[in-house]
Amino acid sequence: MIRYEDVHLDFSGKAVFSGFNLKVSENEKLLISGPSGCGKTTLFRILLGFEKVDAGRVFCGDLEVTAPNIRAIRNQLFYLSQDIDFRNAPVAAVLDEIFSFEANRDIKPVRAPQRQYMQLLELEDELLKQNMPELSGGERQRLGLLVCFMLNRPIWLLDEPTASLDKDLRKKLLDHVMAAKKTVIIISHDNIWRQCDTCQIERWS
Amino acid sequence: MGARDIDILSLALLLVFLIPVLWLGGRFKLSLNRTILWSILRMTFQLSLVGLYLKYLFKFNLAWVNILYILVMVTVAVYSVLKSSRLRISKLFGPIFISILLPVGTVLLFINTFVVRIDNIFDAKYLIPICGMLLGNSMRNNIIGLSNFFAGLREHEKIYLYSIALGGRRMQALAPYFQASVIAAINPILASMATIGIVSLPGMMTGQILGGSIPMVAIKYQIVIMLGIFYTQFFSVCLSLLFSIRLGFDEFDVLRKELLC
Repeated sequence: MIRYEDVHLDFSGKAVFSGFNLKVSENEKLLISGPSGCGKTTLFRILLGFEKVDAGRVFCGDLEVTAPNIRAIRNQLFYLSQDIDFRNAPVAAVLDEIFSFEANRDIKPVRAPQRQYMQLLELEDELLKQNMPELSGGERQRLGLLVCFMLNRPIWLLDEPTASLDKDLRKKLLDHVMAAKKTVIIISHDNIWRQCDTCQIERWS
Repeated sequence: MGARDIDILSLALLLVFLIPVLWLGGRFKLSLNRTILWSILRMTFQLSLVGLYLKYLFKFNLAWVNILYILVMVTVAVYSVLKSSRLRISKLFGPIFISILLPVGTVLLFINTFVVRIDNIFDAKYLIPICGMLLGNSMRNNIIGLSNFFAGLREHEKIYLYSIALGGRRMQALAPYFQASVIAAINPILASMATIGIVSLPGMMTGQILGGSIPMVAIKYQIVIMLGIFYTQFFSVCLSLLFSIRLGFDEFDVLRKELLC
């Protein structure tokens, strides 16, 4: 489903990747762990087309990450960034905007699944009335996951998805993600993912 | 009829206020004295020069010379816009040149042809001063608009890219920055239109009255020029922002860092 082939990338003379290879099959769950600053997030940014590789090729399904393909690729990916970079506006307005994008228009934010996911993530309706900057780190993270579940895209790129969640919620999230028929790459320092045997682990040095 | 001439010595008399200004500047450690002197010196030199060549520009009054002069004015304005907005001149000169010239030229010729209805629409006496006012104002608002837009993006690039990742098109993801920049750029003219006459008597009107025009004529010209400035600014800042959106990003919708300096 996702392939990095012999990827080379330098950041101001310092090699982040030199000859990096990785293959993720359909519906596989992969945990990537490794020290901070070793380029884990960059891996996601390459797939999203935000970072260009110096050499090598990257594929998402049958599509190579190139300019003509990039919109089609992005529409298959859900990216949960570390800071959940929603813009500063009322929560409801941000959600409306996301679902008004052409790529997401056929996913009507139907009340039923939204309620079900909000319950799963322990989100209150009150949250929708708040402004984005008023949310706590944990609320922001859960809101990001809500968008993830509702967009229902086939590939999930989750960058530290449990960092601000409490123990019970982490467990619930783990079960939900592992049961989902999705290809998932998780970047996390959280040991909870390691306890799960369906999760492949890619160690990084 | 015209305003009384001022002799050079009387003009120099205005510099007496500079003494307390410089003294206070020194006391308050504003580190501005050098800049103050330099700015006053430049203004005096540049305006003297303008006085000299305007004299000849008006005397010869050749359409092509006037147009050439306007093109030079626009060029200088574009440099100033790009430099103040910390953007690379080599990358954006052409598009910003068009963004300023097109609205300024259109509004200017429209005013001369249909509003003031002068026989020679390239008459230096009308063309140059009106163009100067439109240009100066649209230079200022382009600086506000472009600085605002790129500063917003520099600061919130992750938020912009996140919108892109969630499925937004470039224009959709940039809409908040575009809107904020247009508003910031045209707010000053809107405020000044709303308070004109109450808070301030504008320079052009004052000049015309001193020059001997009756107030009603001066006021009509002032309305013409305010509307002219407003239209020019609005179209100009929209154009330059749209060009920036079109040319400032690569085919992956990522901001071209080589544009910024």
